[in-house]
Amino acid sequence: MDAKPAISSAPPDASAEKVISIRGLAKSFADNAVLKGFDLDLRRGENLMVLGKSGSGKSVLIKCIVRLLDADAGSINVLGQDVLGLDQDALDRIRVKIGFLFQSSALYDSMTVQENLEFPLRRHWIAKGAQDTESLVEEVLTAVGLPQTRAMYPSELSGGMKRRIGLARTLILKPEIVLYDEPTTGLDPISGKEIVELILELQRTYGTSSIIISHDLHVAKLAANRIALLHEGRNYLEGTYQDLLASDDPLVKKFFIFM
Amino acid sequence: MGWRIGFDAFVSEVGGIAHFTGRYFRNALYPRFEWGELLRQCSISGYRSLPLVAITAFIMGLVLTVQSRPTLARFGAESMLPAMVAISMVREIAPVITALICAGKIGSSMGAELGSMKVTEQIDAMEVSGTNPFRYLVVTRIWSTILTLPILVVLAMGISIWASWVGVNIKDAVSWDLFYRQVFESLEFSDFIPAFVKSYFFGLAIGVVGCYKGYHTLKGTEGVGQAAHSAVVVASLLIFILDLMAVQITDFLGIN
Repeated sequence: MDAKPAISSAPPDASAEKVISIRGLAKSFADNAVLKGFDLDLRRGENLMVLGKSGSGKSVLIKCIVRLLDADAGSINVLGQDVLGLDQDALDRIRVKIGFLFQSSALYDSMTVQENLEFPLRRHWIAKGAQDTESLVEEVLTAVGLPQTRAMYPSELSGGMKRRIGLARTLILKPEIVLYDEPTTGLDPISGKEIVELILELQRTYGTSSIIISHDLHVAKLAANRIALLHEGRNYLEGTYQDLLASDDPLVKKFFIFM
Repeated sequence: MGWRIGFDAFVSEVGGIAHFTGRYFRNALYPRFEWGELLRQCSISGYRSLPLVAITAFIMGLVLTVQSRPTLARFGAESMLPAMVAISMVREIAPVITALICAGKIGSSMGAELGSMKVTEQIDAMEVSGTNPFRYLVVTRIWSTILTLPILVVLAMGISIWASWVGVNIKDAVSWDLFYRQVFESLEFSDFIPAFVKSYFFGLAIGVVGCYKGYHTLKGTEGVGQAAHSAVVVASLLIFILDLMAVQITDFLGIN
């Protein structure tokens, strides 16, 4: 954790396999159509950021990927499997390979940090005995820089610490893909930058592919290899941060108004 | 059209609870059973409710004895006091009062706990980590109330009868042996069975309603309060409806 990345991680190999492929995704809530035929590909090792205004359906998109919400139409292929067609047991198996960091961190508040981290291990029999569990907990707590918090309850942690522990709980199952829902929202700029640096560090260490949901262009600049702009339920355009910065599109320019 | 909206909401609520109960039965015996969580929930539902149930049962037994005594004395039937208290307690008062106490204590606790987990996305977090939250959180809680409520009811019966003996001894001196013999001479096995059987259904109602309300909480912290409150109201109402049905069934079968 000593080496602080100055800018985003290395660009992904364009020929790398697609770990997530979304086609024609549609989702409505009553009469409100949030996603209207959204397309997206995530390649292995890539940090893809989905940028969009508040309420544009960014969180709905990643909740559809893990089927916390059921899509109305379209297809979602994750690691070669059609997620929308999986039964409950198969879905649970693929969910283990997808980490999800909630905006609220969603730590189990009746458990200590240690118990929060042990919970997914116990559920999936990943650790081989108490010693293995202990070493995995130690490993992820060290990776997020909070080894001293294991006996603390979530209510005793700051917002940034909760986000880090949430990330540790996500990583303890060694996921291939991580979905970040607004990872820096609600944090001060310093804590936000630390979270972004941590995301990059963990991507290098664990080789994860990520979709980062945010409306924060600072996060895009530091963490994203590629940015997809979600507008009116569709993938409006894709490109690197530099591509978007150089764009003459009036909608894209609106996002850079405070940069 | 206000009555129409209210009627639709009522039908929707009944349908929701029925569907939730069906989902519980489909998952109740799923092969990978959560034994550890079940034991923890039994401890919370049963062991931690025992003091409240015991105190209430003691007071009910004592009060019923003290208040019934003058009326029985007027007819020269004081010797019937142990039998009257025992039959009242075993058949009706202990099961219903224990169930109502548990609806208040356990039902509201389940509604608030699951509701809080719902609005803070903890249930979603469990689901995306590949753990089925319904089997882990709901099935174990409903099993715990089904298993512990009959035990609490039997303990409440025993404590209330003992409290009745204490009540009798406030003015008279009656030995425990005599009192105990009079109680069991008046009670029959058919008095225990309906009470015991309906306790399982009361436990099911408390667990299902508490979990249903918590699991479907909306509207943030306000919703958590509503979930806890309506869990108690709906579970209490269901207990009375089930009790009414139990009385009709036992009457029809000639068990009374």
